[in-house]
Amino acid sequence: MTSDISGAPPSAADLKLQFAPFSSALEAGFWHQLTQKKLNDYKLDESPKCIKGYYYNGDPVGLPTRLTLEFSAFDVDAVTPARCCPAVGTLYNTNTLDAFKNIDKRALLEKEAKEMWNAICSGAALKEQSLLSRFILLTFADLKKYHFYYWFCFPALCFPEGIKIIQQPSLLEAVFSPKQVIALQEAYDDLCVTKGNTAVPYFLIKYTDHTVQMAPLEDWESFFTMTKKVTVGFYDPCTLSQHPGWPLRNLLALLANQWGSKLDVVEVLCFRDRTLQGSRSIQHSVVFQIKLPGLSSNSGCPKSVGWEKNAKGAMGPRMVNLSECMDPKRLAESSVDLNLKLMRWRLVPSLDLDKVVSTKCLLLGAGTLGCNVARTLMGWGVRHITFVDNAKISYSNPVRQPLYEFEDCLGGGKSKATAAAERLSKIFPGVNAKGYNMSIPMPGHPVNFSQATLSLAQMDVEQLEKLISEHDVVFLLMDTRESRWLPTVIAASKRKLVVNAALGFDTFVVMRHGLKKPPASRGVDSSPSCSSASSSPSTPAGSAPSVPGSSLFSNIPGDKLGCYFCNDVVAPGDSTRDRTLDQQCTVSRPGLAMIAGALAVELMVSMLQHSEGGYAVASSSDDRMNEPPTSLGLVPHQIRGFLSRFDNVLPASLAFDKCTACSPIVLDNYEKEGFDFLSKVFNSSHSFLEDLTGLTLLHQETQAAEIWDMSDDESI
Amino acid sequence: MSCGVVDEEEFCRCCRLLLQHSNGVGDGWSWEAVRGSDEGYLKKTLLRSVPAERSVPQKHKEPGSDSEKFDYCHLQTEEQEKQGVDASSDSLRPDAEEEDDGVCGAPAGSSSVLQFEYHILYSCSYRTPVLYFRASTLEGRSLTLEDVWRTVHPNYRLGLQSRPLDAITQQEHPFLGQAFFYLHPCRTEEFMKPLLQMARDQNRQVNYVLSWLSVVGPMVGLEVSLECLKQQQLHPTTPQQLRVPLRGSIQQPKTL
Ligand SMILES: [Zn+2]
Repeated sequence: MTSDISGAPPSAADLKLQFAPFSSALEAGFWHQLTQKKLNDYKLDESPKCIKGYYYNGDPVGLPTRLTLEFSAFDVDAVTPARCCPAVGTLYNTNTLDAFKNIDKRALLEKEAKEMWNAICSGAALKEQSLLSRFILLTFADLKKYHFYYWFCFPALCFPEGIKIIQQPSLLEAVFSPKQVIALQEAYDDLCVTKGNTAVPYFLIKYTDHTVQMAPLEDWESFFTMTKKVTVGFYDPCTLSQHPGWPLRNLLALLANQWGSKLDVVEVLCFRDRTLQGSRSIQHSVVFQIKLPGLSSNSGCPKSVGWEKNAKGAMGPRMVNLSECMDPKRLAESSVDLNLKLMRWRLVPSLDLDKVVSTKCLLLGAGTLGCNVARTLMGWGVRHITFVDNAKISYSNPVRQPLYEFEDCLGGGKSKATAAAERLSKIFPGVNAKGYNMSIPMPGHPVNFSQATLSLAQMDVEQLEKLISEHDVVFLLMDTRESRWLPTVIAASKRKLVVNAALGFDTFVVMRHGLKKPPASRGVDSSPSCSSASSSPSTPAGSAPSVPGSSLFSNIPGDKLGCYFCNDVVAPGDSTRDRTLDQQCTVSRPGLAMIAGALAVELMVSMLQHSEGGYAVASSSDDRMNEPPTSLGLVPHQIRGFLSRFDNVLPASLAFDKCTACSPIVLDNYEKEGFDFLSKVFNSSHSFLEDLTGLTLLHQETQAAEIWDMSDDESI
Repeated sequence: MSCGVVDEEEFCRCCRLLLQHSNGVGDGWSWEAVRGSDEGYLKKTLLRSVPAERSVPQKHKEPGSDSEKFDYCHLQTEEQEKQGVDASSDSLRPDAEEEDDGVCGAPAGSSSVLQFEYHILYSCSYRTPVLYFRASTLEGRSLTLEDVWRTVHPNYRLGLQSRPLDAITQQEHPFLGQAFFYLHPCRTEEFMKPLLQMARDQNRQVNYVLSWLSVVGPMVGLEVSLECLKQQQLHPTTPQQLRVPLRGSIQQPKTL
């Protein structure tokens, strides 16, 4: 577009008419429809297709002259929007980018120009005026990436020497009296009615001081009896005051060919018809006069131009990346995000979604609880979920474990951890899910049968340590109590958030473990006197020595909160001793895991929303009436649920300095001796940990009235 | 209309009036009936020329953004280089031999053009009209929420953002199920109340939808014509015979 940027202003004598080219304008619906056509109709068919666009002459000043294609472009019979002119075009959709690149653009343009020229010479274009405003659209749709390459061409026939302007363009209101303007508008409206359209692309005009007559282009011979000076009008999509729009160009070629030698002066009306501030006006239409050179049929098809420049003003194709709005995976992601954002926008404006979405969650256990926790995490938009489990999917699992199907049970069953991860990706491709089929060594379950078993256990420990390091929150969702011990120790040592869920038959506990202060400050403010506390009024027996009265248990900061083992007076590992009943009873009411799994995730989210995270003071049942500490409400230490009563309580309990999992002496031993210490725990009886922590001294033969370690996982 | 809200029947009546006037002056509003129901919404599409500094950014990448969505131009170049689509390659320069001297130069591009589509729906929960809209570039790429915020005139931006809820949010279109933006109606009742009261004091009838639109529309580039507003004062009583056309009964007028 540098052709008219020259130094000195040209003198009036050699002023040549210049036209405002079309800019292509595509609605998103066009690309959606092209995609559908390519997939369902065209497939590998590259043959040219007929499409339809339209242009409009009512734009406010400043908008480019546009040819618009919308979703209906592929339906040639579709109704053109009111007061718009249709334009018919040819679509060349290539199968490859190479074909798009290599197709002979010059030849495409010349073919189109030749057809137009033939229609002009034969006079067919007089009746079939759509032949004058044809376009070419070249496309390549990369449907893997949803990148669309395209290039428009609006073919125009050129006059070798240009077209001389005799009278400069001026506004209609400067040339016509108000009366004439009104008469012109009425004549045009009448012509529209006669033609049965809401817009007419080309028309003929005769006027006096008081009257305006209009006729369709094809009536030329009868309408113009004398041809020294004729006035032609065209529906002009251009808004520039000094230039006509593109559709005039081929009309002038037609006039020059048919009557050029007979015409002295051609007056052109660039008909512009807009509604501004609710009122219609055509006064800003443009009028000018030209001298048309002849364009003889004998001299062959004139030179043609028309390929559109790209956004950078260079001769080249355009590309639009629509993966955001067309790629189903991206759509799923943005819809999931939108759903969450709605929650923030509408209900909880201060919700920090990024904190939740970016949290990396490690799920130890991919059974009933694991499946339900994972699904709730997905609902919260959590993108990083890792499963650890060593079980295979059995026939009884799918009905209670919503990530598995019957097929998964066949042939001995798939590994739960990997099957769960695969299923998450199927449910939502945006998730980053992994599964580790591995076991977690347990206290009282010796690993020293051979060097091989010992090193296998060591590898498992190292893998678990690595996984816990790589995640932000560890969910303990296993079906045995002992298997929770190792991750409790590792996570406490690494200061990771731990959310623990365990099921009875119709009772459950969901809790967050106390988050120890960073190593440097620990010991300084540890208060051994405050050694233990009752966990909950509902579990008086089996608890550590309890201190009555609730005042001690309110406002416990997160670093002083207990872990799953703090309330126990026996070390884990002796599933044979006094606990057989609980271990045998491995069924829960079916709804329980869903409730507990959901609560575990919601507890995590509430904790993340608290400004102090895992150090948040534990909310208790009494706080239900108070101002909540987060936008989502309370951040309890534990939620204990009783399905028989449809009731939950929110107890809080202090860390126990003789805890077999999180007491300083256990953590010290683990941090100093590592696997050597752990293997001692695995290989010894429970008394090892009880001796170590001093629990033995304190030990009383008590039995838990309520045990929370139960599972409905019957697979053995 | 004792308070700042409007019932659905009155909403429809106001829409019919607005449509009638729009059809008269070619203001571009149309009624889109929802298939299989007598519900529907008013629709208008509009092209807006947005100053470059408020337009869709093309060259910079937003920090923390996970996609190339802000980086269309860069991607295009990169893609073309990688794929060998190069503007200088001869096969891609069909007109290269001869410059066309019949083309006028485009005015220096300090602004870019965006296509906006506005819908007016009735919200049963707020008992007010709600303005939904979406926008795209002339290439057909939809604008993101961030892009849309950028197109809002700075004078309005602060006011909109300082509301208790960000006033422009993304929302699924109740009828189309596609992601749209919308102006949150939580304040509508509040600002409509004094407006209606004033009209009542002056014994003047108002078109609720039109008055509401004249307040919220300009924030997102939708100007209501003075002519329309004048009209409603000149003709306080309303012709009852005009009905909102049902699906397919008239050709939808469309103005860009
Ligand atoms: Zn503990």
